[in-house]
Amino acid sequence: MLVDFELIQKAKAGDDAAFNQVVVAYRKRILGTIARLIGRPEDVEDVAQEVFLRLYYSLDQLRTPEVFEPWLYRLTVNASYDYLRKQRRRNEARMSDLSEQQVMMADAAAGGKVSSEDRRRKQVKELVDSLLGAVSEQDRILLTLKEVEGLSLKELEKIYSVNENALKVRLFRARQRVLNAFEATRASTNKPPGRKD
Amino acid sequence: MDQWNDELNGLFASYKAAVPDPEASANFMPELWRRIEGRQSILLRIKKLTQVFLAAAAAISIVFVTILSVPAFSRSDPSGSYIEVLADAYPTETLASHGILPREAAEAKAK
Repeated sequence: MLVDFELIQKAKAGDDAAFNQVVVAYRKRILGTIARLIGRPEDVEDVAQEVFLRLYYSLDQLRTPEVFEPWLYRLTVNASYDYLRKQRRRNEARMSDLSEQQVMMADAAAGGKVSSEDRRRKQVKELVDSLLGAVSEQDRILLTLKEVEGLSLKELEKIYSVNENALKVRLFRARQRVLNAFEATRASTNKPPGRKD
Repeated sequence: MDQWNDELNGLFASYKAAVPDPEASANFMPELWRRIEGRQSILLRIKKLTQVFLAAAAAISIVFVTILSVPAFSRSDPSGSYIEVLADAYPTETLASHGILPREAAEAKAK
């Protein structure tokens, strides 16, 4: 816990200063998680504000301060999921308006703006983004929380309110799909496993 | 397969390094409070509208109850039978115009 239970109780009781302190304590962690969940830095703050807005209006439903962190993660997961769904719809509409040549030109223009150091990061980001595109938004979030954020199955169980076995099955299937997509990507670039760039 | 798994694990670890926790902008907290207050005013407006709607519904109900109950009390002779009400509506004098004679007159005419 990054804050005392007492502070959460105060925020729950309607103390705005206490709520402010809670936001300041968790802001960076939540921003980071959202950044990796949605993969769009320009929208991270907007989604994070939505998370804290939902927290503000749902704090009175929090049973005990002990479950605060899973609660906050659940709000983060829900807000990120809502964003990803909207984004997918928006992308489908936008891409259908562009010709293939226009899409290629837009990609080339975006690639030219970054420095060489950023390019490596960008490649990793793009590769992971495309691999996670092989699974649904829900599975993308679940897999990112487990594999990238490093949350344990116990923690995920609290966030999702689903039993561990169901989570294991879902995670296994999602990981298999991503792994298949990874193999296919590597095969298309003729790179055997284990070889570093 | 294990090698692919290891590579994927490595890729996920690089992803976390490639996307570090960003710092919040200076505008983060003011914007958050603006959104909270914006939502509060919407909720307040909805609450007020609900109250107005409930008050209007109660007033309309009272008006309807009044309208429905008033004629029942204003009836001239609520205890009168159907025959009496009919006799009041069609007095003997007007029956002649319809060609109907009172019983006494009809008997006298027959004699």
